[in-house]
Amino acid sequence: MVGQRGWQYRAVVLLFIAPSLVPLLLFTVGPMVAAAGLSTVRWNLLRPPEFVGLDNYVRLAADANFRDAVLHTVAYVSGYLPLVMVGGMLIALALNQRLRGLAIFRTAYFLPVVTSWVVVALMWRWLLDPGAGLVNYLLGLVGVDGPGWYNDPAWAMPSVIIASAWKDLGFVMVILLAGLQSIPEEYYEAASVDGAGRWTRFRHITLPLLTPSLFFVLVISLINNLQVFDQVWVMTKGGPAGATTVVVEQIVTNAFSYGQMGYAASMSLLFFVVLLLITLVQFRLQRRWVTYG
Amino acid sequence: MAELADVSMATRARTRRPWSRIVGRAVVHVVLSAGGLAMIFPFLWMLSTSFQSAGALLVPPPQLIPSPIELGNYAEIASAFPLWRFLVNSLGVAAVATVLQVTTSAMAAYAFARLRFRGRDALFLLYIATLMVPLQVTILPLFVEMRFLGLVDSYPALVLPSIASAFGTFLLRQAFLGLPRDLEEAAFMDGAGHVTVFRRIVLPLALPAVATLAVFSFVASWNSFLWPLIIVNSPDLMTLPVGLSNLQGRYATAWNLLMAGSTVAVIPILVVYIVGQKYVIRGVTLSGLKG
Amino acid sequence: MRSFNRAFALVAATTLLVGACNGAASSPSASTEASPTSGAPSASAPAEQVTLTYFTFSAAPDHLADLDAIVQAFEQKYPNISIEVQTAAYTDYFTKLQTQVASGSAPDTFELNYENSVAYASSGALLDLNPLAAADSDFDPGVYYPKAYEVFAADGVQFGVPEQFSDVLLFYNKDLFDAADVDYPDASWTWQDELAAAEQLTDAANGVWGHFQPIQFFEFYKVLAQNGGSFFNAAGTASTFNDAKGVEAANWLIDKVGTNMPGDAFGPDQDSALFKSGKLAMWHTGIWLFPALADVPFNWDVSVEPGNVRKAHHFFANAVVASAGTSHPEEAWLWLRFLTSSEEAVKVRLDASWELAAVADQDLFGPYLSQTPPDNREAVFEALSDIVTPPVIEQQSQMQDIVTLALEKARLGQLSVADALNEAAAQVDALLP
Repeated sequence: MVGQRGWQYRAVVLLFIAPSLVPLLLFTVGPMVAAAGLSTVRWNLLRPPEFVGLDNYVRLAADANFRDAVLHTVAYVSGYLPLVMVGGMLIALALNQRLRGLAIFRTAYFLPVVTSWVVVALMWRWLLDPGAGLVNYLLGLVGVDGPGWYNDPAWAMPSVIIASAWKDLGFVMVILLAGLQSIPEEYYEAASVDGAGRWTRFRHITLPLLTPSLFFVLVISLINNLQVFDQVWVMTKGGPAGATTVVVEQIVTNAFSYGQMGYAASMSLLFFVVLLLITLVQFRLQRRWVTYG
Repeated sequence: MAELADVSMATRARTRRPWSRIVGRAVVHVVLSAGGLAMIFPFLWMLSTSFQSAGALLVPPPQLIPSPIELGNYAEIASAFPLWRFLVNSLGVAAVATVLQVTTSAMAAYAFARLRFRGRDALFLLYIATLMVPLQVTILPLFVEMRFLGLVDSYPALVLPSIASAFGTFLLRQAFLGLPRDLEEAAFMDGAGHVTVFRRIVLPLALPAVATLAVFSFVASWNSFLWPLIIVNSPDLMTLPVGLSNLQGRYATAWNLLMAGSTVAVIPILVVYIVGQKYVIRGVTLSGLKG
Repeated sequence: MRSFNRAFALVAATTLLVGACNGAASSPSASTEASPTSGAPSASAPAEQVTLTYFTFSAAPDHLADLDAIVQAFEQKYPNISIEVQTAAYTDYFTKLQTQVASGSAPDTFELNYENSVAYASSGALLDLNPLAAADSDFDPGVYYPKAYEVFAADGVQFGVPEQFSDVLLFYNKDLFDAADVDYPDASWTWQDELAAAEQLTDAANGVWGHFQPIQFFEFYKVLAQNGGSFFNAAGTASTFNDAKGVEAANWLIDKVGTNMPGDAFGPDQDSALFKSGKLAMWHTGIWLFPALADVPFNWDVSVEPGNVRKAHHFFANAVVASAGTSHPEEAWLWLRFLTSSEEAVKVRLDASWELAAVADQDLFGPYLSQTPPDNREAVFEALSDIVTPPVIEQQSQMQDIVTLALEKARLGQLSVADALNEAAAQVDALLP
């Protein structure tokens, strides 16, 4: 390492960190701290806030709606994460070769990622329409009686999961593709020359060198999707009969529809702690399975 | 590069029968194409709806090919809204935000990946922690802050919260950590400083990840809705997603117009993505290190 | 990479420049923050240039030009006041509005629908318009439709002036009725008549349904009233919607599903699509859809909705209000008054079928009544003779969600109707002060 001489080194560190740290503190951390403060008040946003101490948290502990939302969120992530990671990985691997029309495939798989949920939700509602939708029609062709999808409380969350996994496959693909492309071709050359087959090359070169990207995808996907909101809001609004309520949907509803900003802030603070713990555990565990350069 | 590829293909060919390889390739092609079609489907449907007349919409079962074909929707949204203005605003904000995010993230990522200092890991955790509170909760304090700074309804207000990106810092940190250190160490021994190593070695080597981040930053900024909704009042400063949301009436939405607008909104992102992909692929040649 | 840094520096510098220019030049909220006001209120407009902000959800997307026409007319009449219009879609409107109110930067004037206005009024966020109305020598509250004006007053405070009102009618597809040889609905119909007609009109094999009525809070309190029930007790201290009459009313809404009402048309615009494609014979929906149905390829008309024990019809109203913190109360009053009751504004609204201006003078509605379809536009006013206003409490949104959820659970068979309503009643009671 370059000599870590006192102030010169510290200046270098500051130079590299400050451009992102300062805005982050000002525009993200600051408001987060303020939100923590908001969790101690009762506020409908229209009249001045009223200090209530830890009341919101006491209320939260007994809130059945919140508990349901947490369960639904966990269910969502449990279904979504495997689908999107395995699917994304397979596609990235497939598109990492020399194929005809590669650019077209890459663009096609990324298209859902950039299309807004308003459009995507409408399309999926149409696809999954119990009576006139394409999916049930195709299922009918093979003799399966299609379910009620987003109309049926039992199938609404799976509908959201399927739509979300489909939309985000491209995101995982792009990240893993960048990771795959960064693996020097020579490693593969050397392995082939040594007589290593495809599977061996995958297990001993590709997979290990891909772990930093996989780790990133896992951590980010977990953080983002435990905070799932947009698709639920647009596709089902938490319905039918409250079958797809999720944590952030409860937060938003309480903050802006029910005039319970303080309560919403307490929900988000509690959730923040949970997310932080989960991420910490992941960072601890990474030593076991992530290999760097 | 091409000759090396041929060598490896020839090597493989020697060890497997040619036709099973062709069949394997064909299967992959078919599966990918089917998948690709499923992926493009919403875009095609969006495109098709944007050419439908208001009366024919959502009639069960909805048709994929519009008849009659209505060409006037695009003109209609352009006349009802200052569409060009929205586009320019979105473009400007997204471009600035992308440049800033990539720059600040790359610099911070270098520090987290290559520099040692006290509290480094705790600070990195703080960065990640900023991803764990939904915007809907922090938006009120942020709005108050902007108001205090006198920046409500201004371009800077649209950009300032996006200067830093914890997502980008994390992405690039992982990418930098994955790079072999030989070149850097050689450079240090030759007397180069961190800044030079960062600019001349690390960034070029991590080009795929940097290009990927650029695309994501652009997409995120382009599609950003809630913050522009809250902070902008004048139509002059409105960005495309907020402008288009006005097409949603209280009781009924003109879906054909909304789809036309959404199609227009997707195109710049596609351009950025296609350009960005070139850098992701090109990065391969640079990582084939010479000596 | 050098060129990269240069590009970055250029872009950053440009941003700062643009920002500096913008910060110096504009900032519309400045008008509500520190501008000098004209001292004592007077009936005549003060001479300095004033800019008022007006935030609305009902203008976009179809009536921006109409609102603009009203603004032009106003600015001509009062050259020293200019109006800055801000719009948002209804779904996003309240998020933005509340953020602005909460941070002390509420728009000078804005729009509210009745159900939400109570919370704003009781929180002290709205300006009391009574002193301004009293000081205005040529203002006569009688210009407004009486019910609409009263509904936006509470405890002696007039917190808004009514801007639009609308109601719900029974839309019906005349061609389907003709084909099945069923008599058209009329004012004498009851629930049983509607049910009988729906049964005859439903043709499951061809995907044609007899009727559709949404199953949510708004329809529920209306059919409750039609059944002679009431949502709260007289004192407003407890819910009574779960009594026998309430259960009957809920059953009326729910039992139709599957037999003569489609069970999967509850999504956004789905019932609309069904009616427009000629697959729905009768439809309970609002008069705001008249323009959207102008070009459908079949004949249709409207009638007042059938009642049961009595008739009861919706009365929805929007008001325009002024923020309690506005620095230009007198100008705000002039704008609000003009927007809602001036001849120019009323004419623009009626010509554009932009819901109904809430004015008392029935003659003004001539042009509106003579537009077709539908022919029977008089039904819009017929319905006003038996109205039921929404039950409103401060925790309005929460109450609405509780009731709608209970009805959904009952519809899906998760709970019996009685259990669902009892559960909802208990939850609503917990919200009452």
